[in-house]
Amino acid sequence: MSAWFVEIFQVVFVVALAPGLVGLIRWIKARLQSRLGAPPGQPYRELGKLFHKEAVVSKNASWIFRFAPYAVSASTLAIAFLVPVLVVPRRLDMVGDLFVVVYLLLLGTFWLALAGLDPGSAFGGMGSSREVTVAALAEPTTATAIFSLALGAGSTNLGAIVAAALNDPWTVLTPGHLLAFAALFIVAIAETGRLPVDNPSTHLELTMIHEAMILEYSGRYLALLEWAAWLKLFVFLSLLANLFFPWGIATTLTPGALSWAIVTLLVKLALLAVVIAVMETRVAKLRLFRVPELLTASFVLALLAITSSFLLR
Amino acid sequence: MSSLFSQLAVLGSSLTLIFALMLLWHRSVDAYTTAFAWQSVVLAGIVAVVAYFERDPELYFVAAMLLLLKGWLIPRLLRRMEGPFGAEQELQPYVNTATSLLISGLLVLFAYAVCRPLVALSHLPTRAGMPLALGLIFVSLFVIASRKKALTQVIGFLMLENGIALLAVLGTYGIPLVVEIGVFLDLLLGFMVMQLFVYRIHETFESLDVEQLGRLKH
Amino acid sequence: MTLMGTLVTGAIVCYLAGALAALLGNDRWGRILGAWGAASGAAISLSLGMVALASGSVFSAVFDFPSLTGFALRIDGLSAPFLILTGLVGAASSVYGAGYSAAYTGVYSLRKLGALFNLLLLTLTLQVMADNALTFLLLWEAMSLVAYLLVLTEHREPATVRAANWYLAITHVGFAALLAMFFLLSAGDLSTAFDTLRANAPVPTQRNAIFILALLGFSAKAGLIPLHVWLPMAHPVAPSHVSALLSGVVIKMGVYGFCRIVLDLMSGGPAWWGGLALALGVASALFGVLYALMEHDLKRLLAYHSVENIGIIFIGIGAGLMFQSYGLMSLAALGFVAALYHTINHACFKGLLFLGAGSVLHATHTRNMEEMGGLIKKMPRTALMFLIGAASISALPPLNGFASEWLIFQTLLGGSHIPEPAVALMIPIAVALLALSGGLAMACFVKAFGITFLAIARSPAAEKAHEAPLSMQAGMGILGLACIGLGLTPFFVVPVLGRALAGLDRLAWETTVFSLTLPLNTPATFGSMSSPLLAAGLLILLGLIPLALWVIGANRRTRVGDTWGCGRIAQTPRMQYTATAFAEPLRRVFAELYRPTKDLSIDFHPESKYFVQSIEYQSEIHPWFEKLLYQPLIGIFHRIADRVRWIQAGWLGLYLTYMLVGLIALLVLAWWTP
Repeated sequence: MSAWFVEIFQVVFVVALAPGLVGLIRWIKARLQSRLGAPPGQPYRELGKLFHKEAVVSKNASWIFRFAPYAVSASTLAIAFLVPVLVVPRRLDMVGDLFVVVYLLLLGTFWLALAGLDPGSAFGGMGSSREVTVAALAEPTTATAIFSLALGAGSTNLGAIVAAALNDPWTVLTPGHLLAFAALFIVAIAETGRLPVDNPSTHLELTMIHEAMILEYSGRYLALLEWAAWLKLFVFLSLLANLFFPWGIATTLTPGALSWAIVTLLVKLALLAVVIAVMETRVAKLRLFRVPELLTASFVLALLAITSSFLLR
Repeated sequence: MSSLFSQLAVLGSSLTLIFALMLLWHRSVDAYTTAFAWQSVVLAGIVAVVAYFERDPELYFVAAMLLLLKGWLIPRLLRRMEGPFGAEQELQPYVNTATSLLISGLLVLFAYAVCRPLVALSHLPTRAGMPLALGLIFVSLFVIASRKKALTQVIGFLMLENGIALLAVLGTYGIPLVVEIGVFLDLLLGFMVMQLFVYRIHETFESLDVEQLGRLKH
Repeated sequence: MTLMGTLVTGAIVCYLAGALAALLGNDRWGRILGAWGAASGAAISLSLGMVALASGSVFSAVFDFPSLTGFALRIDGLSAPFLILTGLVGAASSVYGAGYSAAYTGVYSLRKLGALFNLLLLTLTLQVMADNALTFLLLWEAMSLVAYLLVLTEHREPATVRAANWYLAITHVGFAALLAMFFLLSAGDLSTAFDTLRANAPVPTQRNAIFILALLGFSAKAGLIPLHVWLPMAHPVAPSHVSALLSGVVIKMGVYGFCRIVLDLMSGGPAWWGGLALALGVASALFGVLYALMEHDLKRLLAYHSVENIGIIFIGIGAGLMFQSYGLMSLAALGFVAALYHTINHACFKGLLFLGAGSVLHATHTRNMEEMGGLIKKMPRTALMFLIGAASISALPPLNGFASEWLIFQTLLGGSHIPEPAVALMIPIAVALLALSGGLAMACFVKAFGITFLAIARSPAAEKAHEAPLSMQAGMGILGLACIGLGLTPFFVVPVLGRALAGLDRLAWETTVFSLTLPLNTPATFGSMSSPLLAAGLLILLGLIPLALWVIGANRRTRVGDTWGCGRIAQTPRMQYTATAFAEPLRRVFAELYRPTKDLSIDFHPESKYFVQSIEYQSEIHPWFEKLLYQPLIGIFHRIADRVRWIQAGWLGLYLTYMLVGLIALLVLAWWTP
């Protein structure tokens, strides 16, 4: 019983903290750029505001447009259920492995891209076209990195990979592991629409990807989509943190272990938030047609990761 | 203990390889110089690690030389060379960036395949890094072959030299000191010659594009 | 007579009765009765496959009637999955065809269409039962010819004739290869039962030749690169319910034949066999989807996706063959089962998509996506069905395409067990390219669905579109339900499909490794996945989100307004993103593979070149490797044809002389040889 309670708690924890993480990144970024910046709690207020506004829907849009926010949120939430955030081993581990996570991400992208096309605006189509391009080109890296992780752990199931890394803490220093981490980090940047692939705070038609797709949304629909995007970032970062640096994750269900897991997770996420903020301050957005080059680079990293895993086996 | 040794050796080797890949990803010669400098520093680190685990004081000397010559002196000279030529950029290489990256990935795979028997024969804890060193050599050769600017080619050549040094260190724990010093001198001399060459190219063609050399035939 | 015997007779009778009814009946009743015959025959084929898998029994019959001597039929585990997919797609497309072919009344011959459709289903059903080379080849040729005639239905269109000719040419190249292959395999006696062939193995050099010939012959039928060129030409021009059958079932006969010969009769071979099949599969998967992305003809786009999916199936088979050669039997079984699963899945979703495209064609009279748009409001049910198909082929969970692609990924991950590192290192590249083609397929179907069904109508024809008639909806509904059902039950489907391997040498005992628990575990315990739980979870979450919105008291009012247009008032269809624009980023990314030709011509004003009168930009993509491969072949063919032209005189007496000379030469030859 308590195991199921922890499963639920984990997801509630993730969903509740996701806006906070984005707020934190924005705040650090503002400070690094010598701006005062909004407090980290700002995204919660944005959500509150959006939930209380009425939604405006284009007259050209079909049910796809109204359904997409729910489909995107549901697929992202499903990922949140599959990813080990605080505890291993998990009850839900057998429901899906890393491939399932990847294809659930694609499911969200599919719906969002369709919703972008639905109102018939040029912006939406542009965003959809770019989003599916980036998503498709990120696939080879993801699959290869998964392969390399699976070789080390003997399984593609997330719980098993984390458990294997916990058993042998020095594997995290092997080049295969580090290269796979670098490759997946680039993929995470691309998938969650951060700089240098996509600028989350732009509304310039030449540069936006994610924002262009959701341009037609407002009110509760926009709130759901924003929350889902933030949730995706949170889940991706905790996935990276736990797959590659699993220290601190709870292996028993005692309150002590759980609270220690929460503390370490928050520290790891704060570190990653600083990394992202620093990176977003230092680099400029890439031209759209340099993004494939970045993804190719990440693919080569993943390929190197897998070759060295083969060799060290 | 020896597992830590081999881990460090492989980690260092993959880092040197990644610095070589940066040549294919970046476009400014300045970034190439930085990549080369860091690669040399990592190489010096690997030599020092080998020296520590094998208790070979001579290798410390080699590491220090590497650090001094390739980590500091040559990058400095390279930067000084960039000055007069302005912002020379590798904008239109023979092979585009994404394809270059893929080809170098395949080259590294090929290096793994070629090195199989070599690695199987060796009993050194550093043997796992040898395919990476060979991969570095291949990638550097590819850089020289696929890039147009003379300065890029010079840096590619220097990285090739780094790759050979890395292979020597990993495969045989370095070569006798006298030979090593000779190599260093050769390298410095070679570099001077190339520097002269680059100046001449620039004087003659107002550009560092080696494609221009084709015009010498006429 | 046994149950299976009765079913076989029943299916044959139904198809023949359907063909007869279509030939004899008038336009209306012939069409309806022909469809009934086909549908009931297909239903029997389906149940035949299920009975064969469920009971594990083998049915065999040898004919001794004077006209059918040497004809032998047998149903075993390997035939069963193909009977099932023939039945599923056959039933759905005949129900659909009853409504769809009404549009041909008075234009093209309905009688021929109905009769040929029944005959195609008959040959397909019998094809997988053939138990000796003679039967196999006769049925193969019959199937090809019937399919050729069906492609030619709209024979007044020049494009149709051209496509049908290509199909005929390549299918006969394949047939020649198969004929040679069977002569080698059965040492000259084509009526040797397959059972005897299984027992006596040919010598290794011959085995390699047999394998190459089999690969050539069957890949020509399956549409594997580089013998795929006829597929994107022939499938789009056929009537849509025939396209569904061609893409869903006929090309699968290539897969069946390959499995029958290579896995069953020769029980595997050296590692390079698998490697070659794997490499061809990867190339097909990638190139198929890349060219599909650039296609704006809805049915051609789907046809290119058939090339892609055949590639994915061959990836599974190739990986399985490789594992088999290294003695990794449970991984090999996993690969074959994954390939069979994907074969059935592809039949369902590709059949569904072709039927959906047919409904769109029926409603708008165009295949060009740039002239569609907004159809989801005019034909909501067709749109929903097409969406299900699109999500399945894009391998989105929890539908069927995902289940089989997941299994193929898991098979490939087992590549790390291959002892030879140089070979094993090729596997990650296959994984990466398979993942890339999966991602690109998703992109392509966002385009296909989004441009066709969403936003505003781009042409008057699309504005006047109407929902498809009930029979067509029913046809799509069958396959839509099959896609969902096959996706939700991999824990059931996979062990059952495992029985299909029961007859295969060296793999028989591996069928037990698939568990029947809710999550599907792979034998090498590489991963587990449960699509029913996943689907349930997604559904629960979909219900919980509106509930949560209600609980937190979110504003539920919705206002309908214009699409935002930067202050512009009216929105016209020309402002929307087009299919070309949608695929443009990927076209630029893969420019080196596409090698598009560009043609830019600018007309300047005669007075001053600073004023432009018109700009014309044209860019086309031709598969360059097809030219590279086929142009020289066609050239050689032309030259040979020129050389031998002198023997043609157009005079009957000369031809009779040729025949006489030929006969005498043959007799002399027979007399001389001991």
